[in-house]
Amino acid sequence: MTDEIIVGIDLGTTFSLVAYVDEAGPHIIRDEHGDGRLPSVIGITPGAEGTKPQVTIGWPAREHAVENARTTVYSVKRLIGKGWEDIRRDLPFLSYAVASGPRDTLQVEIEGRRYTPEEISATILRALHDRAEKHLGRPVRKAVITVPAYFDDAQRQATRAAGAAAGLEVVRIVNEPTAAALAYGIGLRTKPPSHTTVTTEPGRVSLPTPACATTSAGPETQAAPGETVAVYDLGGGTFDISILRLEADVFQVLSTAGDTHLGGDDFDYAIVQLVTQEVHDQFGVSITAPSTKQALRSLAEAVKIRLSEQTQADIELDLGRGRAYRRTITRDEFEKLIAPLVERTRSSCEQALRDAKLTPADLAQAILVGGSTRIPLVRRRVGEIFGRAPYTALNPDEVVAIGAAIQASILSGRQPDMLLLDVTPLSLGIETMGGAMGKLIMRNATIPCRATEKFTTFVDGQTAIKFNVLQGERELAADCRSLGEFILDGLPPMPAGMPKIEVEFLIDANGILNVSATELRSGKQAGIQIIPNHGLTRDEVQRITRASIEFAQTDIDAHRRIDLRNQVEFDTHKTEQMLAKVGHLLDPQERARIESDIANLRKFAQETDNLDELYRALTAFGHSTLHLAEVGIREALVQRDKTP
Amino acid sequence: MDSPLFCDHCRSLYPAEGLNHFELLGFPPAFDIDLAALRQKYLQVSHGVHPDHHGDSADSATSLRLSAQLNEAHRVLADPVLRAEYLLELSGGPAASSDKSVLDGVLAIALTLREEIGDAQAAQDRAALAACATRVRQLHETTLHQIGELARQLPGDPEVRRQLRATLNSIKYYQKLLGEL
Repeated sequence: MTDEIIVGIDLGTTFSLVAYVDEAGPHIIRDEHGDGRLPSVIGITPGAEGTKPQVTIGWPAREHAVENARTTVYSVKRLIGKGWEDIRRDLPFLSYAVASGPRDTLQVEIEGRRYTPEEISATILRALHDRAEKHLGRPVRKAVITVPAYFDDAQRQATRAAGAAAGLEVVRIVNEPTAAALAYGIGLRTKPPSHTTVTTEPGRVSLPTPACATTSAGPETQAAPGETVAVYDLGGGTFDISILRLEADVFQVLSTAGDTHLGGDDFDYAIVQLVTQEVHDQFGVSITAPSTKQALRSLAEAVKIRLSEQTQADIELDLGRGRAYRRTITRDEFEKLIAPLVERTRSSCEQALRDAKLTPADLAQAILVGGSTRIPLVRRRVGEIFGRAPYTALNPDEVVAIGAAIQASILSGRQPDMLLLDVTPLSLGIETMGGAMGKLIMRNATIPCRATEKFTTFVDGQTAIKFNVLQGERELAADCRSLGEFILDGLPPMPAGMPKIEVEFLIDANGILNVSATELRSGKQAGIQIIPNHGLTRDEVQRITRASIEFAQTDIDAHRRIDLRNQVEFDTHKTEQMLAKVGHLLDPQERARIESDIANLRKFAQETDNLDELYRALTAFGHSTLHLAEVGIREALVQRDKTP
Repeated sequence: MDSPLFCDHCRSLYPAEGLNHFELLGFPPAFDIDLAALRQKYLQVSHGVHPDHHGDSADSATSLRLSAQLNEAHRVLADPVLRAEYLLELSGGPAASSDKSVLDGVLAIALTLREEIGDAQAAQDRAALAACATRVRQLHETTLHQIGELARQLPGDPEVRRQLRATLNSIKYYQKLLGEL
C-alpha cells in the first residue's frame, strides 16, 4: 500500500519542527503547549562507568543550559559538514568543547566523550520522529529534511546520515527557501483547481485535496500566469536567498545564493562581544567560565528579541562578589553592531538576481522566512535591496516545515501534477594540473544534472588515478571546498595513456553528488574509492546508523524492529480491508496471491531478526499490492461520483 | 504526450542514452526554435520523468539519468550560443579544442575594451563605463547575429563550419567582458 505518511522536518540551527500533510492540508505537530518548535538543544549527562549517558532534548535542555553549560549542545547545525577553519571565529562564544575529528571534521566533546555533529543532529531528529509517531498513532519510516539551499555536498550528506542514524529513511533533502516557496505558492494559489479547498486566513496555508491517482497527470498546457519571487531566509545560523518562478503546477528555482555561516547566532555574538569588552574595561574581568558564557548568550538572545519590539532593552549581568554590570542598549546601537552582518546578505541577493538575469522590478514579492527576519533592520534592508515592502505574512518559524511536508506529499504521489525544479548552489569541478579549478557543472544548474570527464594514466604500469573534487566559485582549487579525494583503482597495468576511464558526476535531486566510473575499453564499471573531507566515510555512516548515540532511552534496532512490525501490521490490515471492499473486482488468482502474500509477510515479520530483509519484504509487499490500491481508489471515486 | 522517454499509460521510463538534445525534446535540429514551445515541452517531459514521481520504483535510476539529460538538453537549446555550438558539433565540428581561430580584429578590440573598462573602473567614471557597456553589448549583439546566420546554413560546407567556429570563439571574449561589467 502506498498511503504511507512521509513527514517533513525542518532541522534548524535554533529550533526544529515536524509536519505532515493529510486530506485537510498541512499540519505542524505541536507539543502539549501548542508549540511546534523543538529547541535544537540537547543536554548530555554521562552515566557512571560502563553505563549509557542520560539525555535531555528540547525545552528542558535549553532551560538548564546555564547550569549545564559544558554538557549542553546547541547550534550544532553550524558544525555539521564543516572543518576547523570554518568555525574558528565561533569558538570563543561556544560554551561546550569542540574538537577536531578525522579528515577535518568536527566533534563535540563532553566529559571526555566525543560525538559527531551527525549523532547530535540524529538525537534531535529522533525526538521529532517520536513526536510524529505519537501524534499520528502509527509508525513513520520516511522523512523529507530541509537544509539551507547554500549547503554544500558534505553538509547535505551529513544531514542525510543524521536522518539515517535517527532511524529515518531520508527520501529527499530539500532546500529551505524552496520549501518556503512551496508553502507560499500552494497556500496562496489564486485559482485552485475546481475540486479543492483553500483556506485564506493570512499566514495559514492549505493544500488542494489530493487528486485521484488515476487521472492522467501533466502540467497545464495553457501558458500559466506565473509570478517570480525572492525568498529571503535568515535563520539562526544560515542565510539563503532564492529566486523562483511559480506557475500553476511548476515551481522552478532560477538561482540561489547565501552564506551557511550567517544568522541570528552572529547577532547574539555581536552583543556578547560588546558586553564582554565592557565588562573587561569596567571590572578587569574576562568572561571565560562556560556557565557565564552561556548565561550571556541567553541574555544576548533575549535582548535581541526584545529590540525587535522595543527601542531599548536593559542588560544586567551578575559578576559575583557584589559586582554587577548594567547598561541599556538602544535599537540604534544594536543596529550599528549588526549592520555589517546584515549588509553581507546584500551581495548574495544581487548575485542571485544577476544569475537569474532579473532585476528587482521583475519580482512580484520578496518573501521573508526565518526568525531573524523579525529584526526591523533586516526588513528595512530587504526593502531597499528589492525596492518594495517585504512580504511578512508567513509564519517565519513554521513555513519551512510546512513546505517540507508538502514536498513529502508530492513524493508520496498525492500531488501528481506538481513539478518542482531546484538547482545546485555551487559549481562543481576537479582540480586540474597547476592547482586550478576546472568547472564541470555550473552553479544554478537545474538538478538532477550530470557531467563526465575522461581520465588516463601518466606512467607506464600505473594502476590507480587520484583526483580532487571541488565545489565553489573561485579560480584556484585551494580557495574552493574539497569534497575529498577520489581514487580510481584496480586498473590493469598498461602503458601510460592507454587506460581510458570515464567518470560521471551526477548531482541528484537532493543536490548530492554521485560518482561512478567506467573503463571505456571494456565498458566495465571501474572501482572508485572516496575519502571524504569534512564528512564521514561510508563505514562511519553505517556505524552511526547502526549504533547512533548509545543513549539510555534509545535503542535504534529495537525501535526499528517495533516500527517495522507495526508497519507490517498496519499495511497487511489495510490490505485486508481493501480486499474485503474491492477484492471481487480482482482476478481470482491475484486475490489469492495477495492473501498468501499477507500471510507470508506476517509470518516473516515474527520470525526474522534481519531488519534490512524485513524492510525489503515490506517494500516488495507495497509494490505487489499497488494494483489493488489503484483499484480501491478508482472504486472509491466511482462511489463518490454516484452519491449526489 | 508523445515523448520518447516514457509510456503515457503506465508512466514507465525508457532509457535514452543515444538521443541527442533535439530528439530528446522532439524538435528538429535547427537554429531557429520557438523558446516558449521549448520550455512548454521541457516542463511537460520533465514532469513525466522527474525523480519526485519515480522515487520508490524500479525506474528511479533511469529517472535520475533522464532528468539530468533533459535538464542539459534544455540548458543547451534555450541558449542561442550553446545551441549553435551544439549544432556545429552535430554537423561534425570543428571543436573549440582543435580550432582556436577568432574573427579578424576581435583580439585587438577586446584588449582595448578591457583596458578602457579597467581605467573607467579605477577612475569610477560611470559615464565612461556606460559607454563601454553599450559598445560591448553592440559587439555581442552583432556577433550573435552572425552566429545565427551561419548556424542556419548548417551542415553547410567546411568553410561555413570554420567560419561559425571562429565566430563562436569570438563571442566568448565579449561574453567575458559583459561578465566583468
